[in-house]
Amino acid sequence: MKNPLIFFVFAALAMAASFQPAFADGGNLLIKNGTILTVTQGIMAKGDVLVLNGIIRQIGENITPPAGVKVIEVSGKFVIPGIIDSHTHIALAGTNEGSEAITPEADVGAVINADDTAILTALSGGVTMAHTMHGSANPIGGPNVVLKMKWGRPSEDMVVTEALRTLKFALGENVKQSSRTILPGGPPPRYPQTRMGVNAIIRREFLRAQNYMAAWDRYHKLKASKTPPKILLPPRKDLRLEVLADLLRGKMVARCHDYQATEALEFIGLAREFGFKIAAFEHAWEAYKIADELVREKIGISVFADSWAYKMEAAEGIAYDAGYCSKKGVLVSINSDSGERIRRLFNDASKTMKYGGLSENEALSLITINPAIQLGVDRIVGSLEVGKQADIAIFNEHPMSAYSRCELTIVDGAVYFDRAALLREREETAKKAEAAKKGGRP
Amino acid sequence: MPKGARLFFMLTILALGALAWNTPADVGPTYAIRNAKIVPVAGPVIEKGILIIRDGLIESVGPSDKIAIPEDAEVIEAAGMAAYPGLISAHTNLLLEEPAAPAGGASQAPLITLMGGAQPSTPPGTPEVLAFGLLKPKKSVLDNFLKAGFTTVLVAPNRGIIQGQSVVVNLNGEDPEPMVVKSPAALHINFTTNRGGYPSSLMGTIAYIRQGFLDAEDYALAQAVYAKNLKGMKRPVFDPFLEALLPYIREKKPVVFQCNNAEDIKRALKIVDEFKLNAMLSHLNEAWRDAFVLKKTPIPLLVTLDFRPPSGSSFVNQGEDLRKKAEAETYPANAGNLAKDGISFALTTFGLNDGSTALKNIQGAIKAGLSKELALKALTLLPAQYLGLAAQLGSLEPGKIANLILAKGELFDEKTKIDKVFVDGVQWKF
Repeated sequence: MKNPLIFFVFAALAMAASFQPAFADGGNLLIKNGTILTVTQGIMAKGDVLVLNGIIRQIGENITPPAGVKVIEVSGKFVIPGIIDSHTHIALAGTNEGSEAITPEADVGAVINADDTAILTALSGGVTMAHTMHGSANPIGGPNVVLKMKWGRPSEDMVVTEALRTLKFALGENVKQSSRTILPGGPPPRYPQTRMGVNAIIRREFLRAQNYMAAWDRYHKLKASKTPPKILLPPRKDLRLEVLADLLRGKMVARCHDYQATEALEFIGLAREFGFKIAAFEHAWEAYKIADELVREKIGISVFADSWAYKMEAAEGIAYDAGYCSKKGVLVSINSDSGERIRRLFNDASKTMKYGGLSENEALSLITINPAIQLGVDRIVGSLEVGKQADIAIFNEHPMSAYSRCELTIVDGAVYFDRAALLREREETAKKAEAAKKGGRP
Repeated sequence: MPKGARLFFMLTILALGALAWNTPADVGPTYAIRNAKIVPVAGPVIEKGILIIRDGLIESVGPSDKIAIPEDAEVIEAAGMAAYPGLISAHTNLLLEEPAAPAGGASQAPLITLMGGAQPSTPPGTPEVLAFGLLKPKKSVLDNFLKAGFTTVLVAPNRGIIQGQSVVVNLNGEDPEPMVVKSPAALHINFTTNRGGYPSSLMGTIAYIRQGFLDAEDYALAQAVYAKNLKGMKRPVFDPFLEALLPYIREKKPVVFQCNNAEDIKRALKIVDEFKLNAMLSHLNEAWRDAFVLKKTPIPLLVTLDFRPPSGSSFVNQGEDLRKKAEAETYPANAGNLAKDGISFALTTFGLNDGSTALKNIQGAIKAGLSKELALKALTLLPAQYLGLAAQLGSLEPGKIANLILAKGELFDEKTKIDKVFVDGVQWKF
């Protein structure tokens, strides 16, 4: 490995995976003497946060800890809402159902993998929640899922049931490339192979979904009528079309992988034609070209900070995309799309201060309250407010500083990542291994 | 021909005819095993007993002073030996025509196939396939498992997602027909993917399974309505795939889900609940991790003695040291941990192609905390019950099939040698 420091960090994380967090005390904590960045309600230079049963009960100065509540002293440190990654693919057994172009039946919520060490990696960067998504191989992928980063807990405990139900769409190069035969003997080429084909196939599926909904409506009507026919069979229940019908009924929202402005506008056209809601465009490197349209349609974007031009359709991406769109009034979040970048989202968010001139708090919003709004969970997380769930990260410096690192990550009032404890554990493991070697045992 | 002679001739013909109905080849031998310690599993241990085998069945079993040895019996002196019911492995892919695919499912597929580099070799669903039709028993395989004390195995098809229907066989020879105890035994479903075609991902697989059962429910409904309206209703289109699923939807015959890791268990339980299936879960070498869920369900568990951690598990993705340790210590404790939680299960050899490894792993499970009594029950009476064969198999009781082992010493002790094995009342010649 090129960089010994990177190796060190990875080794530490690998060791840490065997470490079971001390689930603090039924979610009761008093965080004391930190600089509190609430994101939505200003900054408290020196304050306390009281958490009871996993909920923030009080934010203020000199809070007396109730009997039996553990006190975490954080003077000189920064207390922020847990970071939320609006777009990633961690903690899954498989990302793409790439064998076909239209697969809304392929639900990532059905294949959560609680053993993915990326959950711990996420926690090490202060991330407490992630929108983990179907991949971008298909024009219509599948439903996504929102998870809390409860490393060591069973997968069902991680699922955030309060979140919006989202369905993944994808446009452009990824979809086209997935339609080609790459390896000899691979699957035959798939329709669609062009951007116009992508738009057409999505439109075709929505028409099918409309027919499907009409067939069921007809069935229910006949069944409920005073003189139902003697022989009445229900239409075939189709998992693929059921999901699209839910989108058309407004029970789900679309999250659409998109690079170019033109195809984003076309997709907005589809949403208008069929009456569904787009919550956000993913990556959206040309969003700055259509910021007015996005504001008008109330569509957010979830983007990278400054890694543009890594492929042809990203060529017109600019680092000012997030900052500029934010200032125009678009709801922007910075995402990782990765199990590694997820640990440094705060670094990425801070780049919008240089590119686009966002304030510290505006930059911090891109990875806290904004993604919370995009996922429909801003009632329960995304800022430090009384009554919200206690998803909290504690940094040694201001999280928008380049020198900052996460020291403690708390989910539902329980400590899931404790850097100091992890390092101690790692040292002890190394010592034990050393002792075992000296003792002649394997 | 004088009258008397003619009568004699006719009687002779009749006698020969009668013999033909009852030739020695069709009548199994009679054995009397005496002076053995008898472990019937279903009842208390008999320290010194006699067990009579006649024509494939156990005729009687009891203490030496209570059972008379029949005159026609071949006496087997078994002092210093112990008799146990033959072991049952309630899920295997043994004896199949084609070589068994590696257990563990999609995650173990080579990268190139995951990327779509190979054409699908089998359709993802073949519920109509009967394992009976694929049986190709080989003496070497039979010897291998009989030496370890296994006399009955369930053989399931092993290709695709909805794989087909299994057969329970006694390991009594190389002809498939006389081996069959039950066919079909169960429908088998594996959480794997289709290499190169749909579904290529686990989430697609789950949708595929659910859509299959949804369609079967539709098909069942259409059939039922049609049965009442033969005149005046267009007949539903025949579909062999859905036809094969009908008994599992309508009559609730057993469906076995192969759960390759802790998450698969919960995935299976969701599907079982959605379609109200009569299910069994198999593989399950990470079952202890889901004990809190399994405690609440009466679903029979077929727990494999394969201790290799599944790929993708947190015991695998943190380096070779932890994986080795897990295989040696954590996974062998699975069965013992389930027992501690009050969860019943049968043990299987699923994923193991070698009887001696299976035996070694039983000892491993015992060393890691499983009691010998439970281990024995989990390989005899419990699998017999789960497979609906408790009347015929699983214990040493009069009337049951004479599948039994004679061991020099206590079964599952490391030094114990299995001396003789009887299958369907016949002593197996190694």
